[in-house]
Amino acid sequence: MSSNDKVTIHKLPTGVPGLDEITGGGLPEFSFNIIAGAPGSGKTTLAHQFVFANATPERPALYFTVLGESAIKMLRYQQQYTFFDAAKLPNSVRFINLSQIVIEKDLGAVLEEIIKEVERASPAVVVVDSFRTMVRKPTGAPGGMELQSFIQQLALFLASWQATTFLIGEYAEEELRDNPIFTVADGLFWLRQSTERNSVVRKLQIVKLRGQASVTGLHTFRITDGGLQAFSRTFGLSGHKKREPSSKRLSIGIPDLDKMMGGGIPEGDSVLVTGASGTGKSVLATQFIAEGIRQGEPGIVAVFEERPQAYTDRAGSFGLDLVTPQNDGKLLILYLRPLDLSVDETMNEILEAVKKIGAKRLVIDSLAGFEMALSPGFREDFRESLYRMIFALTGIGVTILSTVEVDESFTEFPFSTYSISFLTDDIIRLRYISIDGQLRKIMVIIKMRGGNHSQDIREYEINSSGVMILGKRLNDYQHLITGIPERLHRPGQNEEPPQEQEAKSKR
Amino acid sequence: MSSEMLDLARRLLACEAVAGKASEPTEPAVSRVYEKLRRPLCALAGVAGFRSLVSRALTLAKAEAPSLCAVQVTPDGYLQGLGEFEPQIDKPQVGDGGVILIAQLLGLLRTFIGEALTLRLVQDAWPDAAFDDGSSGGGRKV
Repeated sequence: MSSNDKVTIHKLPTGVPGLDEITGGGLPEFSFNIIAGAPGSGKTTLAHQFVFANATPERPALYFTVLGESAIKMLRYQQQYTFFDAAKLPNSVRFINLSQIVIEKDLGAVLEEIIKEVERASPAVVVVDSFRTMVRKPTGAPGGMELQSFIQQLALFLASWQATTFLIGEYAEEELRDNPIFTVADGLFWLRQSTERNSVVRKLQIVKLRGQASVTGLHTFRITDGGLQAFSRTFGLSGHKKREPSSKRLSIGIPDLDKMMGGGIPEGDSVLVTGASGTGKSVLATQFIAEGIRQGEPGIVAVFEERPQAYTDRAGSFGLDLVTPQNDGKLLILYLRPLDLSVDETMNEILEAVKKIGAKRLVIDSLAGFEMALSPGFREDFRESLYRMIFALTGIGVTILSTVEVDESFTEFPFSTYSISFLTDDIIRLRYISIDGQLRKIMVIIKMRGGNHSQDIREYEINSSGVMILGKRLNDYQHLITGIPERLHRPGQNEEPPQEQEAKSKR
Repeated sequence: MSSEMLDLARRLLACEAVAGKASEPTEPAVSRVYEKLRRPLCALAGVAGFRSLVSRALTLAKAEAPSLCAVQVTPDGYLQGLGEFEPQIDKPQVGDGGVILIAQLLGLLRTFIGEALTLRLVQDAWPDAAFDDGSSGGGRKV
């Protein structure tokens, strides 16, 4: 042992999927924590998950219930969760009701009873649910212990007895400030739920956690059959090593478009394909995924506007087989359509899929559908969440192609309606133009962060093989991007439309 | 009332009757079974919670066994007048008030917290007796 040796703080699993990442690896052993929040926010369930994840017959968990939910009813409801292990009762998990002492005596008596039980059982985990209700009972006894003193003494005692502790309390948002009770706690977990139109949004914040770096900010969580599931703002990727810059280019599966992009999409880029309805965004995205599979790069398609079967069938109509790679585990099509999703949950689904098949390519089709699938409360944070998601995914080397629909305008040339262009490395713009009495389509590379790209505006069509770029650039017209181009009159140039000329030359 | 809970109640009473004979008991088996259930249930649900559970069980039991009409629940969760209901262990009868009361109490517990937890609680109170954990479909042995 040297004077430089620091104490090692062991971290206990929280039992809540995603929360260990947020806490910085788990909960510090012997810490004294408060779980605060409004009724129904999931405080008791969170404590139960921790209890069942850590209690053993040798070091059991003592769960003290006070004035609040009836212990019988709590057991009735909590056993519905999959984490609840009835086999752990009563040897590993013991429930002790203190309501009678609270009603008849004061906080000092409650403290005495807790100390007596802790000394008897030597528990690894202690929960007091809910300590807040104790202070609402008017003791009236002179010299009766105040809540702050109770908390202080309890914290001191339990730390010495090597117990990791949770106190559960109902607190409103405004009570967070200047509350001396929170000063005592090593960890303060705040659970919130708010109603946004017809959806409920649940968020968790670690206001403080002594001894280790937790992920700051508000994290989405959901209560499922398995209890709480938390979704870190960093999507569980904070510990991942960033990829080395890659010079590799990924083919889109459209050779002329690859050339326009200087050889393809730089690996790890985020590409935005933007255009009006029917311009072929989804087809192009499907070609990108299918080409990846041909190249041995597994892919994920997150669809929001059509079901996986319809997506697969449509790809088949372009001669792109998405059935075989799905059967071979090289492709996953995720259908994410519940109407109260958070970006973090979506991200979790996508990340799980990426890990599962080792995906190198991801298609999000489309961002508009993605936004609609989110709870209204999350839509406000859409751009910021999208930024975090794209940053995290490209950081591990996944190349993302997102589609977004824009309103076709014949006076403007918007890249996207979401003002999210800054999130992307490369932008491919598709649009309709009116030429010679026909509604035709052009594409142009707007930007590529990774290097030079073609400045050409190219006409394309969608045929039975997908998106197909036609001929050379349209240099006979001006004002192409307005959608209503004008043909340039050059000396000696005939008046036949380009298609007629092309047909003649083929003949 | 389920026959399973009646059966379990009889087995518990039989356990206590045997134990009682060995130790020259001063209390009837019903009282000892009740007391063995009262302690962990008070710890779990609190005295008030336990008292409300027993009150309900007693009300249900009285409907089947009018002889229990004089039995009362005290504020601290004890039963007054229970000692008179010593069951006929050698010839157990369904109509035995004590058996019915214990069976109703166990039945209520099973309703609220499920068979698995109820049996765990019983097992904890009678550690030397062998009970199934409920996963075998409710069959149990003593």
